[in-house]
Amino acid sequence: MLSVLARSVGNAFRNKVRSGAVVVILAVAIGLAMSMLVANQAVGDRISALKGSVGNNLTVNPAGARGFQGGGEPLTAADVTKAKAVAHVSSVTGTLSLRLRTETATTTAQAGTQAGTAQGGPGGGDGTTSLQSAVEPGTLGNRQNQSGAQSGQGPQGAPGSGNGGNGNGTVRTFTLPVSATGVAGTEDANGNTINVTSGKQLSNFAATSTQALVGTTLAQKNNLKVGSTFTVDSTKMTVAGIFDGGTVFDNNGIYLPLAAAQKLTGQTGQISALTVKVDSIENVDSTKTSLTNALGSTRVDVTAGSRNLDSAVSSLASVQNISLIAFIAALVTAGLIVLLIMIMVVRERRREIGVLKAIGAPNRTIGLQFVLEALVLVVIGAVVGTAVAVFSSSGIASALVSANTATAGARGGRGGFGGGGFGGFGGGAQLIGNLTTTIGPGTLLGGLGAVLLIAALGALVPAWLTAKVRPIEVLRGE
Amino acid sequence: MLEVRNVSKQFKSGDHTIKPVNDVSFSLEQGTFAAILGKSGSGKSTLLSLLGALDKATSGDVMVDGVNVSTLPDGKLTAYRRNDIGFVFQQYNLVPNLTAKENVMLPMEFARVRRSERQARAAELLEQVELEADVHDRKANRLSGGQQQRVSIARALANNPKIILADEPTGNLDEQTGELIIELLRSLTRTQNTTVLVVTHDMALARKTDRRFRLAKGSLAEEFDRSRAR
Ligand SMILES: Nc1ncnc2c1ncn2[C@@H]1O[C@H](COP(=O)(O)OP(=O)(O)OP(=O)(O)O)[C@@H](O)[C@H]1O
Ligand SMILES: [Mg+2]
Repeated sequence: MLSVLARSVGNAFRNKVRSGAVVVILAVAIGLAMSMLVANQAVGDRISALKGSVGNNLTVNPAGARGFQGGGEPLTAADVTKAKAVAHVSSVTGTLSLRLRTETATTTAQAGTQAGTAQGGPGGGDGTTSLQSAVEPGTLGNRQNQSGAQSGQGPQGAPGSGNGGNGNGTVRTFTLPVSATGVAGTEDANGNTINVTSGKQLSNFAATSTQALVGTTLAQKNNLKVGSTFTVDSTKMTVAGIFDGGTVFDNNGIYLPLAAAQKLTGQTGQISALTVKVDSIENVDSTKTSLTNALGSTRVDVTAGSRNLDSAVSSLASVQNISLIAFIAALVTAGLIVLLIMIMVVRERRREIGVLKAIGAPNRTIGLQFVLEALVLVVIGAVVGTAVAVFSSSGIASALVSANTATAGARGGRGGFGGGGFGGFGGGAQLIGNLTTTIGPGTLLGGLGAVLLIAALGALVPAWLTAKVRPIEVLRGE
Repeated sequence: MLEVRNVSKQFKSGDHTIKPVNDVSFSLEQGTFAAILGKSGSGKSTLLSLLGALDKATSGDVMVDGVNVSTLPDGKLTAYRRNDIGFVFQQYNLVPNLTAKENVMLPMEFARVRRSERQARAAELLEQVELEADVHDRKANRLSGGQQQRVSIARALANNPKIILADEPTGNLDEQTGELIIELLRSLTRTQNTTVLVVTHDMALARKTDRRFRLAKGSLAEEFDRSRAR
């Protein structure tokens, strides 16, 4: 066995120039294969990290709508029932998202002194409230306000700034609306339990309920405590608890009992989004499909987490596919190189194989010798190739990912989200972030195992050919 | 005991067939030193390859100690070539990128002899064919024709075969070294009771053998003449 190996190593370098060339070609193929494997793993890890970050929630929106943008028909209680009947769905929460304008601002606007400014927030509003937004519009808010006004999309037909009467040329004042979410339980629209820091969770979910939860910054701005009151569409609401949503934007909102929110804003029975919990993360994809089918793909959009996440995951998934295909292609190439070179070698050494047989070498010893000879070349190629891969795979993976997110971003840019939307696209790329590749021992061993397996397969055919050489070949001239 | 019964070998070349070995029969007692003589192209190498199971006869049987070699399965044939036969090829056929010693060790490796033992025996055999120690570790393709021929002989002796089939074993050797090889082969028939069958044009060698056969037109005939070297 040891002597067979020694002979194989010796034979591998009988023709140094050819062996050198073969090693270089193998190194390129194997290096490419390893880089692709590493990229594949890195991307796969990132995908599961991204997926893990949303957990097993699905969000159902009316088709064509997201948040306060877009159109479509609202969802209803019937959809909740249908969604609950879908397999693997463990719970369904319906929420209604509302934007409440501050009453004073509206009053001023209606008085006509500043027509077109206050009303022109993006998407307008669903009702009014006595609460003042805790968030200053700032540059971003004003920019969005302007574009919203220019496009004239306010539900009350607010005129654009160009023909906005005496709003012309003046510095426009504007307050951000307060967002309100109608919930039917203690969970927010993302399926997380609302983090109440003082007071209690909502407990009365009747249409006549006057309970409300207020975000910390909003409560501070309006001097609200547990038990304080404010109005929503002229109805007096009582603060049941103060919550902390984690971000300034979230804390500038309120939670209302769903039925009460529907009634207050005259949207009885309507729901803007469903949050569906799936029993396990493996079933998220299949449930997404069955949920879409159950509710009608023309009526609803079902997304796992945010759309940014979706685009990030789908562009990453295509990178994953590309890298997997490239990995396999490079492996097969390496296998073919081994196959062809060994067939050549066997043909060249027919006579010598005949000698070995004539002096009593069993077929399997000769076959083993040739397989080992091939493996010697492959191992050297693999060592060189892997070294190259270690230094280049990070670059290759990043290049692959950025090329793909660039196309995904361009595609997204052409559809819908133009102008002064909510920060536009590019969120997918942000989610992907910088892809760092690490070559773990597991990946390395797995890749090398695959390379050796393919090489051995490639060497088997030539080895089998040696079995067909007859000992009498020894008497033939070359 | 080597028995050859009605062995024929025919080759098809183009539209006509040639029969270099045609209905050959003879037998050799164990320990016989025998020679096959004949013109070039008369089929001597072909006959030897049939006896050494390098090739299959078109018809006829080769019996070794009562075992019909012609009907053995491939696995047994390999063992037969390895353990019972020592073949000295006309073209030497050493493995070119192995050293002289490694070439001699090869048959022993296939016979699963321990490495240290292989090395010792290979060195000893090479000494016997008068190859000095500095040649032992030289690659076979760096050896002269006569040196290669002697390595080939040493290799044939490696597994102590019952039968040695040598195709012109002295063809490339000077008179003195040829003598030595003849003596070596002859002594094997005496001390180890090895059957040695040589193909030769060398009359010095032929004269030392116990029996001589002449192959002509495919037929083998034994020659009896006055100068027997017994
Ligand atoms: N594989 C083959 N196919 C066709 N003809 C062959 C084959 N092998 C040998 N022959 C022919 O058989 C005849 C005998 O060849 P062989 O090699 O046995 O002769 P030889 O007696 O050993 O000659 P020499 O003394 O020159 O070595 C020759 O005519 C040769 O051309
Ligand atoms: Mg011959």
